[in-house]
Amino acid sequence: MKRPAVKITLVALGAALALSACAKEPSGPSATAGAKTLQIAVIPKGTTHEFWKSIHAGAVRAGRELGVDIIWKGPQKEDDRAQQITVVEDFISRGVDGIVLAPLDDRALMRPVRDAAREKIPVVVIDSGLQGGDYVSYVATDNYKGGVLAARRLGELLGGRGRIFLIRYQEGSASTVQREAGFADTVAKEFPGLEILVKDQYAGATTETAYQLAENLISRFPDVQGVFTPNESSTFGTLRALQESGLAGKIVFVGFDSSPKLVQGLRDGAIQGLVIQNPARMGYLGVKTVVAHLKGEPVEKVVDTGVVLATRDNMDAPDIKGLLSPDLSNIAD
Amino acid sequence: MSRQNRSGLSRALNIFGPFIGLVLVIALFALIPEVQGRFLRMANFKSVATQSVIVALGALGMTLIIVSGGIDLSAASNIALASVITAYAVNAGAAPAWALLFGVLTGGLVGLANGALVTRLRLVPFIVTMGMMGIARGAAKWIAGNQKIDAPMTWINELMAKSPRPSWLLMAPGIWIVILFAAAMAVLLKFTVFGRHIFAVGSNEATARLCGIRTDRVKVLVYAVSGLFCGLSGVMEFSRLTVGDPTVAVGLELDIIAAVVIGGGSLNGGEGSILGTMIGVLIMSFLRNGCTMMGWPNYIQEIIIGAIIIVAVAIDRLRHRKEC
Repeated sequence: MKRPAVKITLVALGAALALSACAKEPSGPSATAGAKTLQIAVIPKGTTHEFWKSIHAGAVRAGRELGVDIIWKGPQKEDDRAQQITVVEDFISRGVDGIVLAPLDDRALMRPVRDAAREKIPVVVIDSGLQGGDYVSYVATDNYKGGVLAARRLGELLGGRGRIFLIRYQEGSASTVQREAGFADTVAKEFPGLEILVKDQYAGATTETAYQLAENLISRFPDVQGVFTPNESSTFGTLRALQESGLAGKIVFVGFDSSPKLVQGLRDGAIQGLVIQNPARMGYLGVKTVVAHLKGEPVEKVVDTGVVLATRDNMDAPDIKGLLSPDLSNIAD
Repeated sequence: MSRQNRSGLSRALNIFGPFIGLVLVIALFALIPEVQGRFLRMANFKSVATQSVIVALGALGMTLIIVSGGIDLSAASNIALASVITAYAVNAGAAPAWALLFGVLTGGLVGLANGALVTRLRLVPFIVTMGMMGIARGAAKWIAGNQKIDAPMTWINELMAKSPRPSWLLMAPGIWIVILFAAAMAVLLKFTVFGRHIFAVGSNEATARLCGIRTDRVKVLVYAVSGLFCGLSGVMEFSRLTVGDPTVAVGLELDIIAAVVIGGGSLNGGEGSILGTMIGVLIMSFLRNGCTMMGWPNYIQEIIIGAIIIVAVAIDRLRHRKEC
């Protein structure tokens, strides 16, 4: 009767140790205690989307070039603000040399970042902004410019006149709000002949909600001639709705971000343009900036990682292709 | 004689089982040279304790419910709702003390509704609270206008600050609040008539009723008290985030239930202790903390926590088998 309990305890202990042993190996050269290898924690908003994998790949590349250790760790649940705060705190406890952070909330993450600054751990913010000034640098896409590029593409293809939708993403999402503003401002300024039929409808967080919204809008305005959507999920949802209603390829559709399905849409002519960011560069420059700061070099307070427009004509050019279908092979997982 | 040995062992396992787990987890990370020095620091322990506050408060109430033979799936939604209400009240210009009270009471109301539905409609707690999970989450999103509520900083946000003011508190006020309430609940559960009634209802409701216990009243009270704790937990969530976020804490009810179960609570009712639950909370927090410090990928962490839950329940079953 005594034995099973002991056995279970032993098995549990053994399992925990085995797990810890096999998990430890890929963490690489950091085991050499006392060596001067810098440790940089890179904290994304989530870990499963391709966007974050690209950032991871860029960070790893910078880590290899600079000879620093990259610790990649996101919140356990995607998009959970409280858990991201916990991750930042744990890395402060661990005493990493620097942190690269994509904050899930421009305000909720202020306090942990201030704690890091107090512990003399520099933080570089990537992807989305953070209030306050406790970080070293902000490395991100110029989202407004992305909206401008989209508006120009749409306006040129329609010859400056037509009826279009501006489908928004979600209230309170800073990056997409800027894209939408860039788009709307440019249409108003440069293409007065374009009539925006819908400009305050939100696609919501998922492909499904975007799909439904686009379907409803199309059935209400079947004579629409152009659409702009400001992120991956809204672009894909709208693409599905256009395909279902037979409008794909007949109207001008400019989206944002890339995924295999969207690249296919671009190739098939269902999408006339995709504004793409450079997440790998964001991860790369994020790490580079924080290391430069640690070495005492001056860094820019704001670093733009660039946006480009991918079209059917340029999508096979090497640099665009690399952005549309990023190479993730260097992530040692 | 062997029988006595057995019961002695199972009692020892009962009391020290969760402790063994906690010591194992701490020892595991303390032995890894890569993080050793950092992991065992006071500052890190404080930060783990602060991170545990939200789950711990929810788990205090959940222990009562599970001991009484029920379950509360709406705990996490209730926490989100309370955090939104608190943020809303602060934003509307209410004094922080009032905002705090509103948050706690909101949680209490949701708990009371759970209890009333379970007893009046004679529905299974699983179903009632699963429904309430959606209702509370939806209400939170509705009140917050489907986005987060930015509220000005007040002393409420100091409750979860790692370096508290005044500094003689040493730890975040939230941690002290948890310790106080945990002690109070432990006494309530062990030494008061109401506490013994909870155990009686959880062990065998029919017998308890025949013995003259007003089982329905006990249950309603248990759910209401548990709701108040969720409300307080929501206030702490708001304190930590500095915004009222209706999408926060999705799935946290499972963490809370896991803490109770790891700590020796039985989903069949009639078993569980506050001390065990608190240790269950700490086991999970230390695991998260250690895994993050090691930079282990999230899936490792999820696998380990999952395995620990199963092992804990396996030990629980073993204990039961021995008793009969």
